[in-house]
Amino acid sequence: MNILAMMWKNLWGGSRTLVYPAHPRVSEHYRGLVRFDPTLCTGCAVCKFRCTSRAIEFQAGKGEYTWSYDPARCTFCGRCVEGCKAHALSQESACPPIYLNAGELKESHTLVRKPPAPRPAAAASPAVAGQAPKPNPVPNSGDAQ
Amino acid sequence: MNLTTALVRLLLFPGLLFAVPAAWFFMWVERKAVARMQGRIGPPFMQPFYDFIKLLGKQVPPRMGVGGLLMKAWPLLAVASAAGAVGLLPVLPASGGFEGDLILLLALLEVPSMCLIAAGFSSRSIFGEIGSAREAVLSVSYNVVFLLAILSIAASQHTFRLEALAQLPVSPLQILGVIALLVCLPAKLHLNPFSLPNAEQEIYAGAMTEYAGPELAMWELSHGLEWVAGTGLVATLIAPHVTFLWLGALIFVALSFAIVLLLSAVAAATARLQIDTTVRFYWQCTLIFAVLAVASALFTRLRS
Repeated sequence: MNILAMMWKNLWGGSRTLVYPAHPRVSEHYRGLVRFDPTLCTGCAVCKFRCTSRAIEFQAGKGEYTWSYDPARCTFCGRCVEGCKAHALSQESACPPIYLNAGELKESHTLVRKPPAPRPAAAASPAVAGQAPKPNPVPNSGDAQ
Repeated sequence: MNLTTALVRLLLFPGLLFAVPAAWFFMWVERKAVARMQGRIGPPFMQPFYDFIKLLGKQVPPRMGVGGLLMKAWPLLAVASAAGAVGLLPVLPASGGFEGDLILLLALLEVPSMCLIAAGFSSRSIFGEIGSAREAVLSVSYNVVFLLAILSIAASQHTFRLEALAQLPVSPLQILGVIALLVCLPAKLHLNPFSLPNAEQEIYAGAMTEYAGPELAMWELSHGLEWVAGTGLVATLIAPHVTFLWLGALIFVALSFAIVLLLSAVAAATARLQIDTTVRFYWQCTLIFAVLAVASALFTRLRS
């Protein structure tokens, strides 16, 4: 008889599913789409190396680099956000939007490399990423892996 | 019943013009009610109609030979017989009928089930064959109770004419028969806990696994018409006798709706049983019903 009580409760208690295009409410720490802030990015490419699903691509060029993100490949694990020392990456606390065409949510940014920040001491170690071009060692990546 | 009355009943009310929208409506009510009882929103009102139209527009895989022809024929035969069964229901007072139409109704109600069995074997799919075998076993099990129920009702009222049965005062045997019919309806309509022939997540869609497009649309329609005929049969047997046409029709629709809700609640509250448990259940029901029916008949005879 427990099932009947449960059904009665369900019948009058509203539904737990939603009608499209409504989104479910999420918690504050929900890991949604990765957001990129180009003003903070230093071009260290750590995010690319931490991304196990290859959702983040990084192409280095002369004096500039291209950062691109494909949400269709993203598993929303948050490793890129954790690894970004410049806090250029963050995750939305909302469900990813519904899209109709393949690649609609892809984003790509081509940025000019910033000149290296002046260093107070000569003891600081140089850049981290092997492919990073000569003119721009990443300023604050002494502990990068 | 003359030809005009027969045509009106078959094509207009309670035939195709009423039965097809009613079939979609009942299928929607069942899906929606089960969904609400499970805490889901469920499909929108027009979903069964959209499904039907969508399926009509799809292509059917080419099938050669006699097997292909048979696979096309089974759903059409099922729809025709289910529509005929609905057309025979004495919904409106003094709407005609003939001696023995109850027997014809029983035969027509059985045809979709037989078509399904044949379709599963014609499709040569392993899932289709399993679904057909299950439908055959289930059919043999529940039909004994079903036929006993109908025959006991007819025997208690001394007539095989549906309209006369619907108009006569209710007897204890008739109540017993209606309860037995309600026990059989979930199996006839492939609802939980007897949804064995189309057990989803287990044998895909059973006999209908290989069907697509307009043929599948016809199967869905025949299933909806079976809903109307099955619930309508019970509704006509328990409906009070009224003289107004529109009131009779309204009572019929309201009672059918209530039966659909009842069956939906049973479907939502139960899980699928195993085939041997189902067979055992129906044979036990047969035994209990037979004893009660004989006892009731003897009691009635002794009183009179």
